[in-house]
Amino acid sequence: MSTLETSGNGDFVSVQEWLVKQLQRDRFLPKQADATEGSELHLTGNDRLRPVDQLEIYRVQFWLRHTSAMLDDYPGVSGILGQAEWEQLVESYLLACSPTSYSLRDLGDRFAAHIASRPVTPHQDLCEDMARLEWAYTELFDAAPAPPLDAAKLAALPEEAWQTARIVFNPAFQLLSVRYPVAELRRQLRNAQSHPDTEPSTVAIPEPEAQHLVLYRDRQLRLMHRRVGAPAALLLRHLRAGQALVPAAEATAAELPEAAAEVEAQVGAWFQDWGACGWIVDVQAGD
Amino acid sequence: MSDDVLGAARPVPDWGVGVGLRVPHYRHVLDARPAMDFFEVISENFMVDGGKPLHHLDRVLESYRVIQHGVSLSIGGPEAPDREYLKKLKALVKRIRPAWLSDHFCFTGVPGQNLHDLLPLPYTEQMVNVVAERARQVQDYLEVPFALENTSSYMAYRQSHMTEWQFVSEVVDRAGIGLMFDVNNVYVAAYNHGFDAYEFIRNVPHDRIFQIHLAGHTNLGDYLIDTHNGNIIEPVWDLYRATIELAGSVSTLIEWDDEIPAFGELEALAARAKSIRSEALAVRAQRAQDPAAPSFALGKTLVPTPTAASTARPSWNQGGPREAAGLDQDFSSGTAAAE
Repeated sequence: MSTLETSGNGDFVSVQEWLVKQLQRDRFLPKQADATEGSELHLTGNDRLRPVDQLEIYRVQFWLRHTSAMLDDYPGVSGILGQAEWEQLVESYLLACSPTSYSLRDLGDRFAAHIASRPVTPHQDLCEDMARLEWAYTELFDAAPAPPLDAAKLAALPEEAWQTARIVFNPAFQLLSVRYPVAELRRQLRNAQSHPDTEPSTVAIPEPEAQHLVLYRDRQLRLMHRRVGAPAALLLRHLRAGQALVPAAEATAAELPEAAAEVEAQVGAWFQDWGACGWIVDVQAGD
Repeated sequence: MSDDVLGAARPVPDWGVGVGLRVPHYRHVLDARPAMDFFEVISENFMVDGGKPLHHLDRVLESYRVIQHGVSLSIGGPEAPDREYLKKLKALVKRIRPAWLSDHFCFTGVPGQNLHDLLPLPYTEQMVNVVAERARQVQDYLEVPFALENTSSYMAYRQSHMTEWQFVSEVVDRAGIGLMFDVNNVYVAAYNHGFDAYEFIRNVPHDRIFQIHLAGHTNLGDYLIDTHNGNIIEPVWDLYRATIELAGSVSTLIEWDDEIPAFGELEALAARAKSIRSEALAVRAQRAQDPAAPSFALGKTLVPTPTAASTARPSWNQGGPREAAGLDQDFSSGTAAAE
């Protein structure tokens, strides 16, 4: 398909590039000399609005639209920070990371990394973990569906197949290791935000507490989280990395020798449970 | 194929009067299955792999006809529409099987930066060529009748040297596509740029109008914004009457994207649109017999006069709440903790 090329009519691509840059500025354009000058060059204005005033309409909407979308998607981070700090953070994010996707759904795809790179953010580690959690929810919300684990197929697998069989996870499954109990905190913040009499600021900031969270979408399409212990989390990581069940369990036991007995005793029950929850959707016989 | 009383043919059917399908109405629509001629969905909200958006869409498709309307094609962007975007759009077309689909005469950004807005294009011969070529290719690729919508705009370019209605007519004619005719956008643009709304309506190719949009807007005094909230004002209903008289029986859609009311309010607007449509079609039939009969369209002028602002400056979203806006309310408790 075509590229918009220049012609004697003028180079509209350069106007588009100029426009897109102006609309993402964080300053009131009518007070910016270069914006006023550029607007007069490219826009007509009318008897009510100067060219730069017309441009300002679109700039204001860029900020309202995107800050509103971020607030929708990150109630946990905004609840931790409070309005003033939240607004500063989101402004810095949008200035540093222009929206790239056609979908507003992807607006926050670099938010956790931005928080991590911006040390002035209060509660930085907590906010980064919360942003990772909230981005994971966004991804799980519309992840691809998967049929449930086929019990008959599983039963037909010979014993030795578990040495090599690959475990297939539901696309709507994520494993997150965090430094704070962010899932519970988010629930408290959402409850406070949904009750007009409760200020989110009354929710206490928790002490650090390392946790492994499984985030998933259940069969009713609800987004769920469940905390799992370190051995189960490590086993899940090995399985997600492509190891078969038996070698993954052996590797987990070797890396966490203090939990070796627990892994050996529990692995069968864990596997059944993970299949029942829909985390695991298939077992593919290996070579 | 739809043949109206004057025998004019357009390559899409008349589906009557529908409303935009929006998240707050899902429960009512799926539980009560109210009578509705058709629904329109925002394509981008459903160009996903799974989850609630496609679940809801599939349930709606069981009972209703659905049309797709897009906001991110960026037909006038510096580069041709993104191929990955088009692939996803085509996958959705295969799921919905719409009788036609549409997007806008606009651009949404530059490569690598998307502002999620419908930024206006300059009305130039060069842009006619670019948009017409791309629109024809999009229609061929999607294998479904394709239409572009006249947008509301709040600025105008010095480069433009034709009117908006000349521009959209040229593109539609050269590309062999349809016109998604937004009557409220005609009014908003007429107010913001000081032209005659009826002149716009009289001078577009009526047999290429695939669908009509009706919506409310917000008056900020010096300009109007196409917020798709609030009621449709009387001058816009009048413009709709005129459009139907000129174009015949064209599918019509009520859009309401912000401060969304109960579904019943949209049903009432759809009922009013049907009533006006019947009235205008009767006038069209009468004028087919007697060209001297009174007309809603001919001899009329409307250059909207600026009036006092009705509200503080609002924000506006294209297509209403996003699907994930309901994400939190879907959470509930279980043996595992639901968020």
